Amino acid sequence: MFEATELSFTYPSGRRGLGSVSLRGEPGDRVVVMGPNGSGKSTLLRLVSTELRSRPGSLKLFGEPCEPLSRDLRRRIGIVQDTPVHVDELTGMENGLLFAELYGLLRADAAGALETLFTSLGLDDALDVPTREYSYGMKKKLLIAEALVHEPELLILDEPALGLDPPSRAALLRILEERSGKGVCMLAATNDPALAQELATTVVLLHEGEVVAHGSPAELLAQVGGATRIEVYVAGPPPVGPAPVGLTPGDPTAASRTSVGPTTTLPALAGLPAEIVSIQQLPGRIIAESESGADVLPQLVGAILAAGLKIERITIREPDLTDVFTLFTGLALGTEKENA
Amino acid sequence: MTLPVWRTEWLTALRRRRLLALNTLVPLTLVATVALSPAPAVHAAAVFTVLFALFGTFGSSIPLIRDGESGLLRRYVLTGVHPGGLLLQRVFAAAALDVVELAPSVLVIVVARGSSASQFVMVVPALILGLLAANALGAITAALAKSVAEGALFSAMAALLMLHWAGTFRSPVPGTWQASLEAWNPFRPLHESLLAAAGAGGPDFAPALFTLPLGVTLAALLLITAAGRYTIGLGGR
Repeated sequence: MFEATELSFTYPSGRRGLGSVSLRGEPGDRVVVMGPNGSGKSTLLRLVSTELRSRPGSLKLFGEPCEPLSRDLRRRIGIVQDTPVHVDELTGMENGLLFAELYGLLRADAAGALETLFTSLGLDDALDVPTREYSYGMKKKLLIAEALVHEPELLILDEPALGLDPPSRAALLRILEERSGKGVCMLAATNDPALAQELATTVVLLHEGEVVAHGSPAELLAQVGGATRIEVYVAGPPPVGPAPVGLTPGDPTAASRTSVGPTTTLPALAGLPAEIVSIQQLPGRIIAESESGADVLPQLVGAILAAGLKIERITIREPDLTDVFTLFTGLALGTEKENA
Repeated sequence: MTLPVWRTEWLTALRRRRLLALNTLVPLTLVATVALSPAPAVHAAAVFTVLFALFGTFGSSIPLIRDGESGLLRRYVLTGVHPGGLLLQRVFAAAALDVVELAPSVLVIVVARGSSASQFVMVVPALILGLLAANALGAITAALAKSVAEGALFSAMAALLMLHWAGTFRSPVPGTWQASLEAWNPFRPLHESLLAAAGAGGPDFAPALFTLPLGVTLAALLLITAAGRYTIGLGGR
């Protein structure tokens, strides 16, 4: 369906958009690219959508080389850009019909398909409303409908769920799974780990234009283990000494290795239950990995309070793909919203 | 054959009612003021020709640049539509809209200056050709511009140069190379016809006046079609 070999791109300013990335997708595959802002996700999508040209590197779509580019290839692709752009004076249906016609569909055929998509996405009440009155989420849903109306064989989706409410997000996932079942190949970019885990058959982690890891969500998550993450946000004297360290409870050197200051060491950590397999201390945050879920929370909280720190917030979560990214790069992968 | 971009341009223009009214009334105000004044025909015709040419050039260039910046043109092209065909639809639609918006101004000139029927008949095709050429020129300047400000600058410069080479700002000197150049200029029929309609007299309908300018305009449109992907190119602006 698509086969990218050593794709790379440098913007006119000299900024490297993508290093040398190779990946492929077969019918029914759902390849999801994750990475922080500027890691090359959107550039990769723009290259595969034929908007940008890779030099060096090569791209094949549907088994055909993209040089020289055939316009017919583009008609077999559906694209959901990160920013929804429409003709503001036209209604949602008129915009949908415009793009359907540009894709080569007849208006009469397209109208029915669009109505079905609008209903599925919960946009049927806004068919006759000018898109200048649409919210961001509505525009995104319209963009998704426009990208699907011509039954593309390859779908390219840049942050497809960004701005969607939960029911619309669920509807989008249903539609994408249904299309995937019919053999549609998808290449998506997102920083939403939940979406990636739900959608992807393959996850590609990008960092500074290079692939740092790839595999199925299960394969990648296996690398970080299944321990529950307990993140305790604390206020108190800033840590001193070396960079954050991980330690094993019961380790006699634990107290000294988790020093957070000359007067606020955490001696109690040495006596924590063995189910806490590691503790990492970051500025303002202590992350514990527990093999018995939140059962260890009372002991952990007690130890932190005993160290004289004030607890501001606690989050408990299962490991996700952001932890995989952190494992490979040592950096946190925030959501788009957090990074923005 | 469906022309979705042509239809979109018309729908958009008709729904921007305030802009449609301004595009009709503002030129009409200037044209009426000059046409009803005792301004000599040569000066009045120059004002009308400059106004109509700039109206067409800017009206094509600025929206193209704006839609390029917003990403709308990129979306169009990624559907597989031929970029040249897309541009042609926009140029023809914009020129047709300009004709509609400037029609009241032309009527005021004809009535205020007491033009003959044959002079009026000559203004109509000259206006259509001039506006088509102006819109084509706008599309070309849009391709060179990287911002709306640059587009405005390039459009004004290109249109005024073309008007100068059409003989709009000087008395014709037969036999010179400038006179030869004028014969090819798409704005020349517009200027000549407006000069006649404004009261300078002149030939009745003269098809020969249109032949070479029509050829130049068609060549420009062909160029836009062939170079469409560069004009609204991908990875460019």
